[in-house]
Amino acid sequence: MEGDDQVLKRKRTGEGAAPSADGDGRPGLLVAERVRKVYRTGEIEVEALVDLDLTVREGEMVAVMGPSGSGKTTLLNCLSGLDDIDGGRVLVDGQDLFAMSDARRTAHRATSMGFIFQAFNLIPVFTAAENVELPLLLGGTPTKEARRRAVQMLERVGLGDRTGHRPNELSGGEQQRVTVARALASRPAIVWADEPTGNLDTQMATQVIDLLHELNQDGQTIVLVTHDPVIGGSASRLIRMRDGRLVADQQRPQADGQPTAGQWDGTVRVEG
Amino acid sequence: MYPNLTPTLVTLLGIALAAAGFIAVRRPFLRKLALRQIARRRGEAVLVVVGSVLGTAIIIGSLIVGDTLNFSVRQVAYNNLGPIDEIVSSPTVAQGEVAARRVARLRGDPDVDGLLTLRGDQAAVVRGSGAGRTAEPRASVFEVDFAQAAEFRGGVEGGSGLSGPAPGAGEAVINDDLATQLGARAGDTLTVYLYGRPTQVRVARVVPTVGLAGAGTGQTAPRNAFFAPGTLVQAARQAKAATPARGGPAPADGADNATAPGAAGPPAQPRTFTFVSNTGGVEAGEPRSDAVAAKLNAALGPLTSQGTSVETPKQSVLKAAEQAGNGLGSLFLFIGSFSVIAGVLLLVNIFVMLAEERKSELGMLRAVGMKRGRLVRSFIIEGTVYALVAALLGVLIGLGVGRAVVVVAARIFSSFSDEDSFNLAFRFTPISLVNGFAMGFLIAFVTVTLTSIRISRVNIIAAIRDLPNEGGRRLKRRWVALSTVAAAGFGALSAVAIANSQGVGVYLYPTLTVLALCPLLVRLAPKRWVYSGASLATLAWGLAANTLRPKVFDDGSTATFIVLGSLLTFSAVLLVSQNQQLLLWPLRPLIARPTLGGLATRLAVAYPIARRFRTGAILIMYGLVVFTLVLITVIGNLISAGTNAEVRNASGGFGVRADFNPSAPVADPARTFTSGRFAGKVDAVAPLTVSGAKVTNLIKGRTDPIDVIVVGADPTLSQAGLFPLSRRLGRLGDDPAVWRAVQSDPGYVILDNFLGEEDGGPGSITYQPGDTLTLTDPATGTAESKTIAGVLKSGQGFYGVGNTGFVSPIIMSQQAARAQFGSGAKLASAMVKPAAGVTDQALAAELQGQYLPEGLVATQIRDQVERGFAANRGFFQLMQGFLALGLIVGIAGLGVVMVRAVRERRRNIGVLRALGFQSGTIQRAFLTESTFVALEGIVLGAALSIVTSYLLFNNDDELNASGVGFPIPWASITVLVAAAAVASILATVWPARQASKIRPAVALRIAD
Repeated sequence: MEGDDQVLKRKRTGEGAAPSADGDGRPGLLVAERVRKVYRTGEIEVEALVDLDLTVREGEMVAVMGPSGSGKTTLLNCLSGLDDIDGGRVLVDGQDLFAMSDARRTAHRATSMGFIFQAFNLIPVFTAAENVELPLLLGGTPTKEARRRAVQMLERVGLGDRTGHRPNELSGGEQQRVTVARALASRPAIVWADEPTGNLDTQMATQVIDLLHELNQDGQTIVLVTHDPVIGGSASRLIRMRDGRLVADQQRPQADGQPTAGQWDGTVRVEG
Repeated sequence: MYPNLTPTLVTLLGIALAAAGFIAVRRPFLRKLALRQIARRRGEAVLVVVGSVLGTAIIIGSLIVGDTLNFSVRQVAYNNLGPIDEIVSSPTVAQGEVAARRVARLRGDPDVDGLLTLRGDQAAVVRGSGAGRTAEPRASVFEVDFAQAAEFRGGVEGGSGLSGPAPGAGEAVINDDLATQLGARAGDTLTVYLYGRPTQVRVARVVPTVGLAGAGTGQTAPRNAFFAPGTLVQAARQAKAATPARGGPAPADGADNATAPGAAGPPAQPRTFTFVSNTGGVEAGEPRSDAVAAKLNAALGPLTSQGTSVETPKQSVLKAAEQAGNGLGSLFLFIGSFSVIAGVLLLVNIFVMLAEERKSELGMLRAVGMKRGRLVRSFIIEGTVYALVAALLGVLIGLGVGRAVVVVAARIFSSFSDEDSFNLAFRFTPISLVNGFAMGFLIAFVTVTLTSIRISRVNIIAAIRDLPNEGGRRLKRRWVALSTVAAAGFGALSAVAIANSQGVGVYLYPTLTVLALCPLLVRLAPKRWVYSGASLATLAWGLAANTLRPKVFDDGSTATFIVLGSLLTFSAVLLVSQNQQLLLWPLRPLIARPTLGGLATRLAVAYPIARRFRTGAILIMYGLVVFTLVLITVIGNLISAGTNAEVRNASGGFGVRADFNPSAPVADPARTFTSGRFAGKVDAVAPLTVSGAKVTNLIKGRTDPIDVIVVGADPTLSQAGLFPLSRRLGRLGDDPAVWRAVQSDPGYVILDNFLGEEDGGPGSITYQPGDTLTLTDPATGTAESKTIAGVLKSGQGFYGVGNTGFVSPIIMSQQAARAQFGSGAKLASAMVKPAAGVTDQALAAELQGQYLPEGLVATQIRDQVERGFAANRGFFQLMQGFLALGLIVGIAGLGVVMVRAVRERRRNIGVLRALGFQSGTIQRAFLTESTFVALEGIVLGAALSIVTSYLLFNNDDELNASGVGFPIPWASITVLVAAAAVASILATVWPARQASKIRPAVALRIAD
């Protein structure tokens, strides 16, 4: 993996401007332009995102890393439309997310986005299957079909025998796999994962990350926030943040389609 | 109210406060922790105070209702009787003079400060003529020495009430009440029918109805006229001389009845009264009544067995006032107790939720070494502050509640009372406020303490990491063993209670037995089965016990009803909580819809099902209050639906009752009322004699004699009509046979269905036909044993017979009455049956108009019954209104729970919003959830109530006697259910909106 010095060096050479479309011709599934987010606490204003530009292409697995308070989660919240922004725009499939009404944005989220949270955030009063079928039902899938696909998805994440269990009857790893299944159930265009392994032990974390890679290899676009350099290094693209700014954006070459930590191409940008 | 409870309550209050104070002083850090929690979470503190404030308010409100009635009745007694504490009454002028001389010995007695002898009687008084005529058919008239009257009690405390110049010949002084009734003023001319003869008098002046001017029974304000000495005696003599022969037919239309032979009766003369005033003023003299009455009786000697009697009207009225006040206050306390239980549950719920929110904090405190006991003590300090504030506020709100109830009750009183003199005056005593404050505080304090013990049992790691509580920890073996032993003990107590039909025990002990068996059973079978089975068993027992043990309510204890209502509601809620999935199965198509609405519904039912304790507490709050509300509605409706049947039972086929003035009785009413102008208008007349008597040896354990009115019935009463019986001596045959037996055998009597029930409440009657009683003539002391041949379905037709007030009647043959009571059995009344085509109203008006000079009062029995029913309806509505306070507790509880739910579920709401739930769907889910819980509780309470009232109906002869089936007031119940549901939804609109406004990113609190 590159050190910060190399990143700074590339910035000085002017390389790595974020494109709205990839050099390989793949369209930008998500395009963020000059996104700005300010948190206000009384009279204090904190710029959590500063004129941020980013394009996420279809099929990418983007890891967002950075120190605490760098704006990783805010980036995820704003680009997914969970939180409002104070400037700029976010286009998903060419549609401006913040030009939409709240209701339309919510509906858009239901059909084209999936979420995986650190704290699992399953609905405690629903069973695993009920949690997974929730986005499907929101998208209008008939009940029986929704249940069939939910069970199928749970089987895929290795929980075929736990469909009727409630979250408090599952282990942490199992709960997170249910979350993954829920995020993918409606076949969203993009899955957002915020510290998906933060509450798991190493073995369970590995299982979950392997699962995400597997899904990514099947073409699922994933944006994940992580503190773990191994997980970050295994992604196809690594973004580094500091003080609300994107300080590095590195693409890992995928000659054989397998992630290999430490092999990165030169598309790195550092803002001054 | 309840001054006897004050020492206990104040002691307990002192102990609780001392304990909390001791902890606070000994452990400053616990005090600091508790007080800072309150300061930090002011919103929660307000919720806890609101939760416990209503309990105190309801208790205080109930006590104030009792205080008000007690005070109001006492006030009437003080106003009307003024200084009069005892009355010596003699039937004749001559005997009265002897009696007056004898009691005059008491002048100078330290217990007595005034004596006044006067003569009195009753007479009709009329003002004006034609359409403008106003009349009082039964005014009290007195001849009195005004100079002596003015000296009575020496003018202390506003004077005797009768002073000033004496009226001259042809003049009268009248009191306010009579003046108001007649619309008369000083200077007006009145016609007074003294002994049936008209006398023109001029109103010399009008005096306030106070003291001597209000002299009477003390219960109602009498309409009095006062004349110069000798007026009544002379009028009696003139009447005797003018009407040597009486008893002829009624005069033809338009004839002057007063001079006609129709107005008949034996020669009459005024009674002589000696009013006695005790030392100590209007109010303070009453405690000397027993001593003074004893001295008076001793002074009268043999006269007491010759018709002279000593009455203690003030003491009687004050005793009645206390009983009435306590009765009404207890009734409201009983009704309010369900709301208080709901309030306790609300408090438990709020406190548990409060602890949930502080879970990680509690875990940390335990982790750093705070013992469980200290945690509890910290909560006790906090709870004491809440309880104190709530109790103080509750007193203030309770004053408002009490005032509101009194305002409504006063309207009800005025709607059925002819007497405009009785007004409910809002009043409360410091004793009631202290009692209410202490009760409210102790309830909140105990609730908070017990809840603290439960919530202090946190798992430290689970609490710190905010993990779900470990559920289903098994009880230790020794507890299971202890509980099983307790079950055996409760089982034994159950057997005894059931065998003896002990009200509370029949319901309580079997329930405790089942409850105590549960720890053992859950080791042998799945929990759900055990709890479902246990709740089903207790529910079934609660509903069936009354059928299997019909005498279970006979002790008349309201505690039995409170235990029954609570038992039914708690077990039904437990049963429902354990089987929600099963109950919701029919709703699956609705819940499973792949639409936003379907998802909202699915969410809405998922939380209440998962949070059993919280949902159960709300269900009980709603269930308990709605159960009682619907029960009152159904029973009120049942009683009202029986109006026609009650009219039939009360009238026995006679539509009108004519009560005569003892001074001018109608000698042969059977002939008088069927001839002359009444020929063809009256089908039958049954004359009745009336005499006061006392009953003993009727009710087991009751030693004091019961005042009754002995009605001597003419055979026509059972020949021309039939008063149906609710119970009868089997060997005599059917109802007509029983009535015939009473006519032929002087040993048989028929009782009023409420005889002896005045003080004991429902179910206090334990006697049966065939039992005997002792009937004593108080004038002569003659006592006879009588056998109960039957019990009337309704004695209402006889209430107030012969102007005797509302005292239970005992009916026997006229011959038997005369044999025992001699001249004391006076012809005082007659049941009159209108001919076909003649209405009761028309006949009553004609009778009263025709015999106004004789002071005849004609009562339409239907009218009397209907007014009684209207009053009942009014009281049922008042009780419903009072109970609705409990519904506020339930609704507030639901609102509080939903507010807390929104805060607790912020993350979940965030997730749902992230997944694509619209804000409107979230709002709808919350509203549906509250509607679901509220409706479940309401429907549960209503259904239980209808089943319970049906079973009560089937087991209660009186409710069942009306023959109207079991009418369910669906309209009223629907309105009640709808109003409660709408109010519940409104209470959760705000939290639901708050939930919908939660921004997903904020709710998820995803921080870097």
